[in-house]
Amino acid sequence: MSGKPTTETGRRGAFALLVALVVLAVIASLGLGAVVIPPSEVAAAVARRFGLAWGSEPSATAVSVLWNIRLPRALLAAVTGAGLAVAGAALQGLFRNRLAEPHLLGIAPGAALGGVLGASVGGTSGAVAGGTIAGMLTALILKRLSRSRSSEPSRFVLTGLALGLAITAWVGFVVFTGDRTRIPPMEFWLLGNLAGTTWPTLGTTTVLVSLGIAGLLAGGHSLDLLTLGEADARRLGLDVGLTLTVLLLAVGATTGAAVGASGVIVFVGLVSPHLARGVVGAGHHRLLAGSALVGALVVMSADILGRTLASPREIPVGLITAAVGGPFFLWLIRDPEFTE
Amino acid sequence: MTTLRAERVSAVVPGRRLVYDVDLTVTPGRLLAVVGPNGAGKTSLLRLLAGDLEASSGRVLIGESDVADLHPSELSRLRAYLQHAPAVDIPFSARRVVALGRHAYRHDPGNFRERDAQAVVTAMADTETSELADRSFRTLSGGEQMRVSIARVLAQDTPIVLLDEPTAALDVGHGERVLLRLRNLAQAGKTVVVVLHDLNAAATHSDEVAVMAEGRIVALGSPESAFSATLLSEVYRHPLRVSNHPFGPGIIVLPEKG
Repeated sequence: MSGKPTTETGRRGAFALLVALVVLAVIASLGLGAVVIPPSEVAAAVARRFGLAWGSEPSATAVSVLWNIRLPRALLAAVTGAGLAVAGAALQGLFRNRLAEPHLLGIAPGAALGGVLGASVGGTSGAVAGGTIAGMLTALILKRLSRSRSSEPSRFVLTGLALGLAITAWVGFVVFTGDRTRIPPMEFWLLGNLAGTTWPTLGTTTVLVSLGIAGLLAGGHSLDLLTLGEADARRLGLDVGLTLTVLLLAVGATTGAAVGASGVIVFVGLVSPHLARGVVGAGHHRLLAGSALVGALVVMSADILGRTLASPREIPVGLITAAVGGPFFLWLIRDPEFTE
Repeated sequence: MTTLRAERVSAVVPGRRLVYDVDLTVTPGRLLAVVGPNGAGKTSLLRLLAGDLEASSGRVLIGESDVADLHPSELSRLRAYLQHAPAVDIPFSARRVVALGRHAYRHDPGNFRERDAQAVVTAMADTETSELADRSFRTLSGGEQMRVSIARVLAQDTPIVLLDEPTAALDVGHGERVLLRLRNLAQAGKTVVVVLHDLNAAATHSDEVAVMAEGRIVALGSPESAFSATLLSEVYRHPLRVSNHPFGPGIIVLPEKG
C-alpha cells in the first residue's frame, strides 16, 4: 500500500489519531441511539459520575440509559473489536497468510459452539466461559490441521473454512433443539449482537480479551521472526512449535471470549489488520496495538450504524461489518502487492 | 569447542537417500566448500550440519554436543545458516531483517542494545547493504535481498557459519567480495562451510573442498588434490579440464570445448 508513514513521528501521529477516533466513537456511541442524548447532557452525566457538578442537571432517564445501556455496550463493542482484530493480525503473522483470521479459520465458529453450549448451562457468563474454552480448543485443532500450512496456504484456509461451516451447523442444532429462553438465537451466532450488554459480562470479557491480547503482544517479536519463514525462525533460535501453541491458545481465548459475549461478528478480524498495517507498519508490536484500535473503531462504528440506520429497530452489527467490510476487502485485494 | 564434525551421518527419506554415510570434520579457521551436481545432497548435508534435518543414522557434533540434543536457542548461538532461497516477501526494512539475526542474544543480561546495533551496522557494511538499510526488503532486487540475508547471517555472529549458495544471485564483483569476507571470517577463527556451484570460486577461496555425488562425499581435500579432471568429469557427466591458474597460484576448472 502506498503512503505508509515510515518515520517515527508519522507512526506516533497515526497512533494518536487512532486513539482520538476511538474516544470520539465512544462519545458518539453514548449520544446516539433510539433516543438522541445531546453531547452537553452526555458530558454533564459523565462529569457527575466523577463527582463534578458540571453543566445542567441531566435527566434521570438519560443517566440510566448512558450508564446501564450505552456505555457497557460501547465498551463491549470496543473490546470485541480489539480482540477479533488482534487475533486476526496474530493469525496472519503466525501462518504468513493474509487470508488468515479467526472466522475463516474456524476459530470463531468453534467458539460459537462452546458459547451456545455454555449458554444452555450457565446463561451469559456460561457463554463467555464456554466460548473461551472452545476457542482455545479449536485453535489447537487448527494447529494439528495446519501441518500443510507452509506448502499449501490455500488448502489451509479451505480446511479452516470447512471446519467452520461444519461447526456452525452444530451450533444450529443446539440452538434449534435447545432451550430458547436461555440460548441466544441463531442470528447471534451468525451476525453478532451487542444489545443487552451488562457490566458483569463486560468485565469478564474485558479481562479475558485483555489477557489474550497481552499474551499476543508479548509474542510480537516471535511473530516478527516468523515472517522469515518457520525454518529461518527456528534457525535464529525460536522454538516454533511452542510459539505456535502458546500464541494460538491466546488467539483462541481472545476470539472465544469476544464471540461468547458478542456473537460472531464477521470481517473485523480480516479487515482491521490490513487497515492497521497501512497506517502503523508491519512490525508486530505496532501492528497488534494498531489492529486493536482499528478493530475497536470498526465494531463501535458498525454498532452505531446498526442502532441508528433503522431506528427504533436494530440491525445486527455483523450485517454492517459484512456490508462494509466485504466491498472494502474486494478493493483491498485489487492491490497487486496483496497477491504477491 | 566449535569444531564441526559429521560421523557416518545419513539422511534417508522414503524411497531416497539424501545423504549417505558422510564423515567430515571442519575445524575453526577453515573454509570448506561443498560442490557437486544438482541433487547430489549438498543442501541436505548442510542442513544436517545445521541440526535442521534429523539424521537417520550417525550424528553431527558441534564441539562435544550432538546437534540433535541442542535446543534451537542454543544452536542459534553456535551456528548461522543461510538458506538457498531465503523468504522474499518480508514487509520489513532491510535493517530490521538484519536485526532479527540478533535474536539469539535477546535475553542476554550482559547484552546491550548498542552491541546489537553495532553488529547490524558492521554486517551491513560488510555486505555493502548499508545504503539499503531503510528500504523495504520486498522491494529489493534478488541480489540485494541475498546480500541483506547474508548480512543477517553475519549479524548472528556465531562460531560456525553455513551458507547455501550465497553467491548464486550475485554479480561477479559482489560475489567475489562476499567470498573474500567469508575467507576473512575463517581466518578470524570461525568454522565456515559454503555450498558453491562455481568450481573456480571454490578452488580460489576455500581451504578444503568436498565433492558430492549421489549423497556421498567422493573427494575431500585441498582443491588441488580433490579436483581431478577425471573425477569431476565423471561426477558432472561432462568433460572438464583442470589446469594451473594462468595468473596466480591454484587451479582452474573449465568445460572441454565442443
